[in-house]
Amino acid sequence: MRPATPEVKLMDKLASTLREDAADIDADISAQLDSRIRASLNAIEPEVVRQRKAARRPVSFWLASSLTGIVAAFAVIALLNMTDSNEPASVPRTVVGNTVPPVGLPALDLEVEAAMLASPLTQELEDLQADLKKAQELVRGDVRIDF
Amino acid sequence: MSDELKLVDAAKRGSVDAFTELVHSYRSGLFRFLQTRCTNHADAEDALQDTLINAYRYIGSYDPRWRFSTWLYRIAIRNAGRLRAENLAELGDHADDGADPLAHCLAESERDNLWSSAKHILSDEVFTAMWLRYVEDMSVRDIASVLERSLSWTKVNLLRGRRALQAEMNGAAGNAGSEAYG
Repeated sequence: MRPATPEVKLMDKLASTLREDAADIDADISAQLDSRIRASLNAIEPEVVRQRKAARRPVSFWLASSLTGIVAAFAVIALLNMTDSNEPASVPRTVVGNTVPPVGLPALDLEVEAAMLASPLTQELEDLQADLKKAQELVRGDVRIDF
Repeated sequence: MSDELKLVDAAKRGSVDAFTELVHSYRSGLFRFLQTRCTNHADAEDALQDTLINAYRYIGSYDPRWRFSTWLYRIAIRNAGRLRAENLAELGDHADDGADPLAHCLAESERDNLWSSAKHILSDEVFTAMWLRYVEDMSVRDIASVLERSLSWTKVNLLRGRRALQAEMNGAAGNAGSEAYG
């Protein structure tokens, strides 16, 4: 076995000094820090677990989601039907210029007319919103059970 | 399957106990290293906490082909760097030198600690490379992975770091002491 060269001896000395000096650095983890770390770890979960849980939602979640979708679809259909039924089926077309003199027309209260026509729709909209709210609460309830 | 891999698997399934056991042997070394990298003791504690939290949260991304300590140090270096940047941005040039956790830890030492000198002589990356090589016994390949540097860069800078510290140790630092290696 060859004797170590001065350079190798210096390297060994450097390596051992570096190890010893690192060991001199205080590395005590206080009980307070330890409990803080433990509490933080308990408060979270690995991303991989979260993803697995998200992929495995219970049947009730899918049922509630489907119901919400169905309610929303019915709401849109009902809204469209209501809009169509408000239109007159067949209104005889008359040329206003031929029947009514150009002057002296009674002033129509357009705002009142518009409000009267819109009131059934408003009622319908309120009903739909109430239905949607119920469905959302159902979903929220399920999600809360999940997590 | 090794015990460490079993613990990694259990941690991946959400076991805090398994994760705590897994990191238990690395915690002290990690905290020691973070104290050399942070500007104050509180930051070193925060960096340790953040490192362990991030490691647990993203345990799914750990590749068992690498040593667990390699992966852990990579996270630790990022956290320490982020905290140091935040601290410097907040305090600027008014950072309190007396708060240096390394100086605080070494106050009662009989002679100058070589790591304290290394902190002033070497650049951050070379300091880290030297620490990982001589304190954590990491291979050059692992160090290159932790620092996200090439193998040749790591080899060259380890050599430079060794020379600089040898000169410091022999009291022949002289002009070299004022030069930042790496």
